[in-house]
Amino acid sequence: MVRPLRRGTLVELAAAAELKSSRSGRVLLLLCLPIVPLFIASIVLGGYAIHPLDALIALAGGGGTEESLIVQSIRLPRALAAMLGGASLGVAGAILQALFRNPLADPYILGVSAGSSLFLALSIFAGATLGLWTPTSPYSLYMAAFIGALTVVIVMVALSGVVRATTTILIAGIMFSYLAYAVTNILQVFADIERLRAFTYWVMGSFSGVRWSILSPGLPILLIFLAATIFLCKPLNALLLGEDYARSMGMNLNRARMFIVAAAALPVSIVTTIAGSVGFIGLSAPYLARQLTRTSNHFTIIPASALLGSTLATTADLLSRLALKPLEIPITAVTALFGAPLVIYLLLRGRGVQV
Amino acid sequence: MIEAVNLSAGYGGRSVVAGVNLSVRGGELVAVIGPNAAGKTTLLKTLAHLMKPMGGVVYVDGTAASRMSVREIARLVGAVLTEQLRPTQLTVFEVVSLGRYPYTNSLHTLTDRDRREVWRALAETGITHLADRRLGELSDGQRQKVMIARALAQEPKALILDEPVTYLDPKARVEILLTIKRIARERGIAVIASLHEVELALRMADRLLVVSGGRVLVYDSPEEFAALGGPAYLYGLDGGSTFSPELMSVEFRPGLENKPRLFVVAGGGTGSLVYRMLARLGYQFSTGVLHRGDIDYCVASLLGGVVIAEQAFQPISPENVHRALEEARDCAAAIYTSPPIGPLNSENQILAETIALQGIPLIVLGPAEVRGSAIRVERLAELSKTIDTVVENVRAVEPATVRR
Repeated sequence: MVRPLRRGTLVELAAAAELKSSRSGRVLLLLCLPIVPLFIASIVLGGYAIHPLDALIALAGGGGTEESLIVQSIRLPRALAAMLGGASLGVAGAILQALFRNPLADPYILGVSAGSSLFLALSIFAGATLGLWTPTSPYSLYMAAFIGALTVVIVMVALSGVVRATTTILIAGIMFSYLAYAVTNILQVFADIERLRAFTYWVMGSFSGVRWSILSPGLPILLIFLAATIFLCKPLNALLLGEDYARSMGMNLNRARMFIVAAAALPVSIVTTIAGSVGFIGLSAPYLARQLTRTSNHFTIIPASALLGSTLATTADLLSRLALKPLEIPITAVTALFGAPLVIYLLLRGRGVQV
Repeated sequence: MIEAVNLSAGYGGRSVVAGVNLSVRGGELVAVIGPNAAGKTTLLKTLAHLMKPMGGVVYVDGTAASRMSVREIARLVGAVLTEQLRPTQLTVFEVVSLGRYPYTNSLHTLTDRDRREVWRALAETGITHLADRRLGELSDGQRQKVMIARALAQEPKALILDEPVTYLDPKARVEILLTIKRIARERGIAVIASLHEVELALRMADRLLVVSGGRVLVYDSPEEFAALGGPAYLYGLDGGSTFSPELMSVEFRPGLENKPRLFVVAGGGTGSLVYRMLARLGYQFSTGVLHRGDIDYCVASLLGGVVIAEQAFQPISPENVHRALEEARDCAAAIYTSPPIGPLNSENQILAETIALQGIPLIVLGPAEVRGSAIRVERLAELSKTIDTVVENVRAVEPATVRR
């Protein structure tokens, strides 16, 4: 029973469909707004307030003063790490949620961050004790973290093929986190004071200690990753209908899954290396993105998650340094304040939650 | 055009259905039927090349599917599966345009042709007006149409549909199947669909692939399958139900209660609903004189009534009138359904009058004038009550007449 198509209706409907995408566009523009103010605040505010003009001079490369030293070697890497790290975590969360078709998937909850921390600890321990490699070289750190993250994502994907219940996967992820932290803690016992500090730092998660030495190799990778995720949107959209449908529409499932798994593990491992386990950004950013844009289309969700992840991480970082000044709170302590209630809410909502 | 040659479908090294040979031309609908867990889904997924065949070959448009890339196959074969959709906020337009997946670039930019195909698929399935609605807001039937439109947007030569109408209401079921048939014919698409309901398959399909016990039981036209016994052949129906090849339908005989037998004088379709009512109320019945092939004859036989039958297109013979009268004498009451009377069945009017004259209570349903009858019922709805009253009276006055 085909209704004959009047020309007018078609145009109207096409317009309506366009309207939706222009709404997405407007929301994305709106989400860009807080980025620059937050960046400035990130540079200027802290244990030692810096005048915006001095900050500007320092950013332009001028200086020699104490202010410019703080801006150039502490505030700027910290701000960049929080912004790009947050964006990457937001995107990683969106990718994991599409892969697991579960709005509760998040690199922290699924134990991906913990896997990274564990392998970081193992690498440092092995490097220092056995002398196999330089334990503090950023490259060996990144590599170890990436292997750890990749391992966990692969294990979780395999597990989700066996266990269908989403809550079971989440519990498995949380238990895996405990396991990883337990091993990390045991390793700490063997470590000397100097390395102990490093371990604690990775477990707690904070952008406070970010230095150029660690950050500079990771930063371009994060940027390339963020730009490249645009190519994941098409397969991710197809996966919203399930793997069989995606295949029936011509998606090379194994290849796509390989890319998606790597794309979820890579940013998490880099952020973990730079700042330790940062929780709940990957959960909250895509959730908010879907709420604000009212779509599941990844061509909108991925950039929106990046912008929101950036905003959330930078705000949380500012709070962590300002709330109990001059003391620093670990960043996950801040993000958990809104992240954990959101998890409980999503669990209570149950099956009605949209991906 | 899709073809399977000696195809075995299965998983984990275990074959579920083996030796499948079929060839579906454009515009044809082949229905796959069989008991639950007969491997229908596995077979369909293998035909759609979502699973690797355990053996044999699937040819799509003359090329072996195993020699094609996933993308190439997706341009030839569309699928609608039973996979449950998670709630998403994708719009109908977005979901249907996902069907352009094998044609678009890696940013899924829709060209004019892509858009045209999406709108065509939406129009053909009659869901153009839903284009900007979200998938989660739709009814089950609408959602299924979206999934079909999405498969059509792939411009397939073959459509594989796994239980496309199973969870839908009867109206949506028929509507969607008819839509699929129409589009298949217009576009020349070969359709293979598994259907849960055998009766629906018998009516809708050009061919049936009956799968049971790991092999193909029948691959033939619905008529041939009906002649074999249809569901009775497939499932082995027990005494509670019978399959009528003429009606292509299964009848259920409700358990008989200890109620007396009634005689029905009918014909020309006037008795069918009365038989069904009697069967439902638990009465046994005899009926006559009916011409073979009359719909009343089919329904009465299906429901297990004793039928006094005459050869088709022959005037009712005196012998049959006599036999009918004998049968009526054993009944507690009789019903005359006011059949149209003509030269070949005028004896039925006389039969009814004779029954009344012999003192058997005769209920006249409808407008006919019957001498000697006092009980008249205008509408079918009043019949059951009247029957109960009449039977009660007979029992009270003369229990001996109720022999059976």
